[in-house]
Amino acid sequence: MDVRFKRDGTALIAYIEGEIDHHTSRILRERIDSKFIVEPVKNLIMDLSRVTFMDSAGIGFILGRMKKVSSIGGKMSIRNPRPEIMKMLKMSHIDSLIKLDA
Amino acid sequence: MQPVNRMKTEFLSKSSNEAFARVVAASFVAQADPSIDILADIRTAVSEAVTNAVIHGYEEKEGIITMECILYQDHVEIIIEDHGKGIEDIEQARMPLFTTRPDLERSGMGFTVMETFMDSLEIESAPGKGTKIRMTKQLVYR
Repeated sequence: MDVRFKRDGTALIAYIEGEIDHHTSRILRERIDSKFIVEPVKNLIMDLSRVTFMDSAGIGFILGRMKKVSSIGGKMSIRNPRPEIMKMLKMSHIDSLIKLDA
Repeated sequence: MQPVNRMKTEFLSKSSNEAFARVVAASFVAQADPSIDILADIRTAVSEAVTNAVIHGYEEKEGIITMECILYQDHVEIIIEDHGKGIEDIEQARMPLFTTRPDLERSGMGFTVMETFMDSLEIESAPGKGTKIRMTKQLVYR
């Protein structure tokens, strides 16, 4: 699992690579939260194009970031999930809470 | 029905073994040559069951988790067992969005995912004794 960042105006883009489960989501959470706080941004975009696996820990992780971002008045969105990741996102109805760009 | 093949493995309840368990289960089932979608569903369900054992069964302390996979002609049965805390109220635990650990950003979707991604799910559990999850998945759809 790895994450790289890019800033686009008021948005921080997190490019996540690898697998999101209970084990890796703890590390991801720390890295994204600490980056988000030091950058002059209010919105968060998660790019999932290189995420090859995600279980329900990923749902908790995404909802957790969404709460953080909305608490400062920002918006969160998800980009490019693969079909198997999309299945998990749809199942949890997260697509009704977060903007999803497939 | 006679099993075609069977395997059993045990490992410590470490979160790094969540990936180990799902990869091992998928590799074993792969010999039946199922579709990629079926393998992905099995990987996800195994990950959920093992994560539950790590977080809830053993409360992130050290314990032993066993995983058994029994391969039949047209389906696989996967049994994941811990000897941890056990579940007080199984019906409640099965409810979507129910979690005892919101502090860990748990979504409460573990059992719902196992139920949705597999064809059957049985939970045997007793407080203080542990939890046994038995799941099956059809490998060949006719």
